[in-house]
Amino acid sequence: MRLWGPAVLVILTGAVRAEVLLSEEEIQQTLSFGPWPPSFQSDPSNRISNDARAIALGAALFTDPVLSVDGAFSCASCHDPKQAFTTSDTRALGRVLLDRNTPSLRNLSGLRWYGWGGKSDSLWAASLHPIIEEQEMAHNKESLKSALSESSFIDDFEAIFGGIQSQDPELVLVNTAKTLSAYLETLVTERTQFDDFRDALERRDLTEAAHYPETAQRGLQLFLGRGNCVFCHNSPGFSNNEFHDAGVPYFLNETEVDEGRFGGLNFLLSSAYTLGGDWSDDPDKRGAWAVRSVRRSHSDFGTFRTPSLRGVAETAPYMHNGSLNDLDAVIRHYSEIDTERLHTDGEAILSELNLSEQEIADLVAFLETLSNVTRP
Amino acid sequence: MIRCIFWLLASSGAAVACEAAGERMNSETQDAPAVYVAVDDIPLSQPFSILVTVCNEAAVNEMRVDAIMPAHKHGLNYTPKVTALGDGNFRVDEMLFHMPGLWVLQVDVDFRGRSLSYTSSIALK
Repeated sequence: MRLWGPAVLVILTGAVRAEVLLSEEEIQQTLSFGPWPPSFQSDPSNRISNDARAIALGAALFTDPVLSVDGAFSCASCHDPKQAFTTSDTRALGRVLLDRNTPSLRNLSGLRWYGWGGKSDSLWAASLHPIIEEQEMAHNKESLKSALSESSFIDDFEAIFGGIQSQDPELVLVNTAKTLSAYLETLVTERTQFDDFRDALERRDLTEAAHYPETAQRGLQLFLGRGNCVFCHNSPGFSNNEFHDAGVPYFLNETEVDEGRFGGLNFLLSSAYTLGGDWSDDPDKRGAWAVRSVRRSHSDFGTFRTPSLRGVAETAPYMHNGSLNDLDAVIRHYSEIDTERLHTDGEAILSELNLSEQEIADLVAFLETLSNVTRP
Repeated sequence: MIRCIFWLLASSGAAVACEAAGERMNSETQDAPAVYVAVDDIPLSQPFSILVTVCNEAAVNEMRVDAIMPAHKHGLNYTPKVTALGDGNFRVDEMLFHMPGLWVLQVDVDFRGRSLSYTSSIALK
């Protein structure tokens, strides 16, 4: 492990005093959140990953209603590019009010699981399901093939995949999903004030690092320490890509619950669209190990995938059901968490933090530096 | 992302003549054959592999590998895949530590009806 001299540097610039407040251990932990952006890795399960024609067609299909059976809406209706590829609605509004908050679609390349319940193990599978989900786009394989055949996209589609009429409708569905996936892979959040801070620490440029606001630094210290946030929100994407009980109620009404990861795994294990399945283009079936080896537990019930925190200030409301309106509410939720709501046989990580008002403000300030937005 | 790892194990007993790489694992059983575990840098929240070597003349019938985070009261989310390489060497794939902190690696080895348990602690940053 590298050792620095003093981890705290005081910079005097006129009347302004700035410091790097982090300990050496905290600095080392902070370096683990980068570098950003990550280098692009093509998806071996998608033969048109990183293909310029597929990316362009995917972008066009994403915003066109041709992917819904009646032309009622497009992917962008819920994943609005102008709103960080989500909307401000509490829960997504498809053909009906859905059970969950719309996740943003940035930084999705190379994840192990997709969706709040992790019902997909590839981005193309995650792109496929909404097209045929009755409460969302509501196509079936045949109607999709027909719609694409009659659309203005047919020439571009056939330039990539060949004649559509010779393709089985299921192949058309998978090809369409892989086209969307090729586009979605390109959506990456920009570098932020936090990344500049992190990189300055890596260069040992404490003068530059000290420009990072002290309130955000204090928030980062809480994030790494007493807040226990880093246990789940780690790595450059600020997510461990696993599933946890965050103490958010998962009852939909008096008789129904959102099964979360439990339902996601049940779906996944019976799906034809997995990395180990025939629709993967990777002869080595890389990534299929996760489905093969994942452990199932009744404590999966009501757990949800850890969301990335990159760009988080742009994606309110929060949690799987959109029940918390802003970052302040999220921090207060964890600070005052009702541990009675947690699984009794689940992991023992969350407990009441009893944060002060200053500490809550510091944590919010830190989270805001993971986005390129400023508070109004 | 690569994290520093610290092996916090304490080993007792005399060294056994055995070509083994890595650190010796702990066992509460007196005179337990030596078991070594070798691991390179562990990436947080990403799969990794380890090599386990059993220094014993008796053949190993079965090996099971697991890990827990005692402070958090949870274990691995994926079942590790154990492959015998011969000469007491085992490759363990599909290990994944999804949180930073102290993990306890657990290896159970069956020798002709005798099952022995070994542990090592790993602090993942």
